This record gives sequence, structure tokens and C-alpha cells, in this order.
Amino acid sequence: MTDVGNSPRFSTRGLALSVALALLVGLAIGFGVTRLASAGTPADDSAAAGFARDMSTHHAQAVAMGMIAAKKGNAHEVRTLGEDIALTQQAQIGIMSQWLRDWGLNINSDAKPMAWMPDGDKALTNGNLMPGMATSQEMTALENATGKDADRLFLEMMIKHHLGGVHMVDAVLTQTDDPDVLWLAKGMKARQQLEISEMQQLQTTLAKR
Amino acid sequence: MSISTPGGEQHRPGLVKVGGKPAAGAKPGAKTTTGGGKTPPKGGKGGGPRKPITPIKVNQGRNWGPIAMFAAVGLIAVGIIGWGAWAAFKPGGAGYDWETRAGAIDGITHVTTELKSNHTYNPEKYEQDPPVGGTHSYVWQQCMGNIYDAPIPKEHAVHSLEHGAVWITYRKDLPADQVAALAAKVEGKEMMLLSPVADLDKPISLQAWSYQLKVDNASDARIDDFIGALRVNATQEPGATCQGGNTATGDKPLTEEQAAALQQQQG
Repeated sequence: MTDVGNSPRFSTRGLALSVALALLVGLAIGFGVTRLASAGTPADDSAAAGFARDMSTHHAQAVAMGMIAAKKGNAHEVRTLGEDIALTQQAQIGIMSQWLRDWGLNINSDAKPMAWMPDGDKALTNGNLMPGMATSQEMTALENATGKDADRLFLEMMIKHHLGGVHMVDAVLTQTDDPDVLWLAKGMKARQQLEISEMQQLQTTLAKR
Repeated sequence: MSISTPGGEQHRPGLVKVGGKPAAGAKPGAKTTTGGGKTPPKGGKGGGPRKPITPIKVNQGRNWGPIAMFAAVGLIAVGIIGWGAWAAFKPGGAGYDWETRAGAIDGITHVTTELKSNHTYNPEKYEQDPPVGGTHSYVWQQCMGNIYDAPIPKEHAVHSLEHGAVWITYRKDLPADQVAALAAKVEGKEMMLLSPVADLDKPISLQAWSYQLKVDNASDARIDDFIGALRVNATQEPGATCQGGNTATGDKPLTEEQAAALQQQQG
């Protein structure tokens, strides 16, 4: 036993080498495990990242429309719907912003809107506007509208906005397998389709009122 | 353990006995081995031929079990430390390093002294022109990609900067095609607004909270760099929005009565 303890193989040089080697291996393991853990993180030019950015801008306008309807809608149904859309979509903007932070990506990109979608540039209207988005003139008209005109204009604009939004959701559903993106995108689609038929019904109801 | 501890060193011989049951008788012999080397084997209880074999056995049969175990435990421990170290210091880290990107823009100015965020209905004087922060109106200027064709009250625009907007301003004599080029960067993009400014020492000036960049031409690539680094990122109020607010142009901020009337109109 004592012979082993005094063995020259346990030299300080060998010990230092072993420790250094172990540290290197440890760092490599740490690097590898971290890389593996973040392997599924979408890249800057991915559809998921493009969707998070563009849908946030798309949503921001819906929030603005919803707030106008909530404040000055004539029919109580319009005020309620506007409030619901504004609050829901603002919260969804928050979720999408956090994705980008989690992925270490900038909320801003040099890419044009819809660049993440196949033929996305063809979907743009009035220059840079994404599908269903209102022009600034249309937004001003909504802000200045009153009474039944405000309701009618809001429903028209929001139906168009939702249709464009669903179109964008469909595009990301085929291009990502990120579970969080899929979850929110599917939720958006189901909800907005429901609201489209609800608003179409409301159009008929309010026309008779 | 605690019971045997009081005995301490005195009990050591006893412990050795327990450990080496068969060697109980051979113990004295073992002690002599350490001191006398090869001599004791001859005097030992066991037969002569046995002794030379024993040391060889010890050398060959190194205890690989504990060595492997310590190596594995050590590797796992170092791996965990490595993982933590990498996670803590990996490039980028949480979020996006927009401040470094902003700082890298040639000619950008960054106000590092504290800019006040108080609200007022009074007209304010600002140290920077156009302002990049400071006391401002209760009401923000609408910054949903609004393109204002006349100057807007600074007190409202500063509130928009606080929310994270990039405010692009241009001197009134800027050629129409350059104004159109700036408008194309703003239109339909929330957290952006564009307006002319009465007196400006350069043709174009960009503002975000505490940041400013002045350029001569709308084709300057640094404009996109500025927007890319600072839009939303420079916010003093994460999650704040640009919808609503004031949409009127002019050089005086809304009075309290006007602000009340604005909410009345919308409500």
C-alpha cells in the first residue's frame, strides 16, 4: 500500500495536466450541452422570427382600431369587441416580443415586411403595408368617424385586418415547428376566424337596428 | 462514527485489526516491513515464496474502481461548472445587445446624464435640439408610423421617445424625394414618426430616448442602423404603445383643457 502512495506517477506536472484537461473537457461539455439546449432557437432570418416581428406590427394597428372602437363605438357590441381585441392582441404582442428576447434576436430587422413568407413581397399593399392593414388615411377616417358610421367603418376594417392576419398565420404554420409559435399562431387563427363570423353577423344586426 | 471518535488515535490499532481480520497475527510483521524492507519477509509468519508476490500484486492491481469513480464525478462536476460558465458568459446573453450596436454608429450622440421623465402641461426648454428626453407632456404624440407634414410640439414627441419611438425630423428645405424616402421608412410601422422641424442645424436629425444622430442625406445608411438599434429597444416603459395620443401639429403642447377635450372626443 505504501509503495503505491509514493509512486512517482503522481507527479505535480501530471496532476496539473489532468486538471487542465478535465477543465477543458468540462467547458466543452458545457458548451455542447448549452448548444444542444438552444439548438431549436429560431435564427434571425427564420419564419418564426419574421412572424414575431411582423405580426407585432400587424397587431399594433388592430390594437389602435380596437381602442377607437372601445372608446367611441356606437353599439355596445362594437365597444365590447374593440376592447377584447385591443387587450388580447396587445398581450400577444408582449408574448411575441419576449420570444425575440429569449432567442437573443433584435425586435428590428433590415428585412422588408413579409420577407419570411414565400412571395411575401407580393402580399404587400400600398408600399410596405402587410395584408389587411389600413392606410394612415383610413385610420384617420376611423378616428374621425362618429355614431353608426364609426361602427360600420370599424367592422369593415377589422374584418379585412383579421383576414390578412389569418393569411400570415397560415404562412408561419407551414414554416416552423417551434411549439410556442405553433401554439400562439393556432390560437390566433381560431380566435380571429371566430371573430370574423361574429363581426359579419354584427354587420347584419346593426344594419337593421 | 461519533462513538468511536472519542477513542481517536488510541483506538487506531483496533481499527486496523477490524480491517485486516486475517492479518491480525501478521500485523507486527507488516510494521516491520515498512522499516526493514526485505528483511522481514524472512522472519514473517508466512512462507518465503509468498512475500515477493505480494508487492507485485499491489502494483499491477491498481484500484481502478475509485479512480474511475473520482474521474467520473470530477468530470461531471467540471461539466456543470463549464455549462454554467458558458451560459453566463456566452456571447449575446439574454435579449439583444442593442446598446453596443447603437454605440458603434459613427457620429451618434448619447446623453448619459439623467433625463427627467416628469409630466407637465407647460411648454418646456430642452438642452438638445431636437430634444432626446426630459420633462414632457402628459399626452404622447401618436407614433403609429405617423407622417406629420408640419412641426409637432416637442413636449408630445418626447413622450413618444419615452415609449420607445424613433422620431425622424428634417429641415423644411429638405428635397421632396428625400422626404419621401424618409416617409417610406416610417409608414405603417408603429414606434416611428416623422415631422419637419423649424430650425435644424443639419438636414436630417434622428431621435430616440437619450440618443441622437444628425445626417445630411436621406440615403445615409446610418439612418437604418439607428432605427435598427434603437426602435423599441430604447424604451423607458417596456410594453408602452403608440396608438391614441395627440395627432395635432403646432408648436405649443396641448393645454390641460385641450388634453381633457381630446379624451372627451375619443370617449
